[in-house]
Amino acid sequence: MSAIRFDPRTKLVLLFMCVLCTMFAPSLTYELFLVILAAVFGLLSGQYRYTFFGLIAYCLIFLATKLSIYHLTGIWQAIFIAFFGLVNKVYPCGFMAGIMIATTKTGEFMAALYKIHMPDSFVIPFAVMMRYLPVVKEDWNSITDAMKMRDVSPSLKGTIMHPVMTAECLYVPMMMAASNTADELSIASVTRGIENPNPRTCLTKINFSVKDVLAVCFILIYFIIGLLIRRGLL
Amino acid sequence: MRSQSYYNRKGLTVKDLVTTGIFTALFFVTMLVGGIVFAPNPVLTFYMPLGSALLGGPVLMLLIAKVPKRGPIAIVGILCGVIWFATGMHWAMDLGYIIGGIAGDLIAGSKNYKSKVFNVLAYICISLGATGTYICYFADKKAWSQYMLNGGTAKSYIDTMNSAAQNWMLAVILGGTILVAAFSAIIGLKLLKKQFEKAGITA
Repeated sequence: MSAIRFDPRTKLVLLFMCVLCTMFAPSLTYELFLVILAAVFGLLSGQYRYTFFGLIAYCLIFLATKLSIYHLTGIWQAIFIAFFGLVNKVYPCGFMAGIMIATTKTGEFMAALYKIHMPDSFVIPFAVMMRYLPVVKEDWNSITDAMKMRDVSPSLKGTIMHPVMTAECLYVPMMMAASNTADELSIASVTRGIENPNPRTCLTKINFSVKDVLAVCFILIYFIIGLLIRRGLL
Repeated sequence: MRSQSYYNRKGLTVKDLVTTGIFTALFFVTMLVGGIVFAPNPVLTFYMPLGSALLGGPVLMLLIAKVPKRGPIAIVGILCGVIWFATGMHWAMDLGYIIGGIAGDLIAGSKNYKSKVFNVLAYICISLGATGTYICYFADKKAWSQYMLNGGTAKSYIDTMNSAAQNWMLAVILGGTILVAAFSAIIGLKLLKKQFEKAGITA
């Protein structure tokens, strides 16, 4: 089965509905089915490995939650229930978000954001940020290498022995590099016509179709079922 | 030139926007690195905002120094909120960052982004955004976990929860975040004075 491509806006709507569902979740079982729904969406989008491991991870969390409710007592029970309460509220959305990020390219995402009339002052920083996140990791690696050469250890021990020195050695090159990149990147994007006032074009076609409507309908129905159970009507 | 006036009208140039984007990425990483120690740990998860606030100060201070205009702090807050939302974090935290960012921008903007004290306050505002989740928890502790217990909440559980998560914890989280954020921002100002102003990369 080949992967179905959903509209990026549909994915955003689904994610938002996921957040609403977890907000009004009536029971743990409801959350479990929400994760399963997200898994179905992941399979349809062709993310087999991610979906598989995500489901297994949630099953473990589900078991751990049940265990902590029924087999722990006293203060530990209280601490773990509060903690798993947070995990259970966050996990379905995080799972869904993972699928969204894995199946959407930044360009598609930008086109979708322009289509829902986001202003430039939001979309440009957003795109630059997505582009720069991997660079931060690269910079970090080369900076720690350089620090080792000059006998400043970025390890835990070094940080405790010389906190000011380590902090300065990390922050200064990191932020210098960032501000240089900011200059270069803005020159590069201006020469490529980012200041063009006309609407942006995109090679990938983005439009709603039957599958998008179906997906949104599914989650809406699920959300309404959740609300009904919560009110004790089902 | 038409395109130039198009951007000048808003006050932020493309360069400002790109700079804001890059520093938001750095800011986001500092939050992640600081918070990751706390978040997956059941006992420490409540103190996550403190960890997230620890490292970001210098980044935001340099951003304010580089782009002293209306907008960047709010954009940082909004982007962080959106990214946390897109990674599936609790909605109160996302909303907290957006509100914190806008409030921070208004505070720092009231002194034209020149006052050190007000810039520190702006950073504190943004950092407080992370406490949204916990304010939600303490506002209604019973509802937080009730759905997990399938309606019937055990009496013993409520008792222990009240003793374990007392309301002073919320005060510790809020106060601690303010202190840590202030510390981080002041270190940032020191770094700014010592290193970056000399190098001439502030506006």
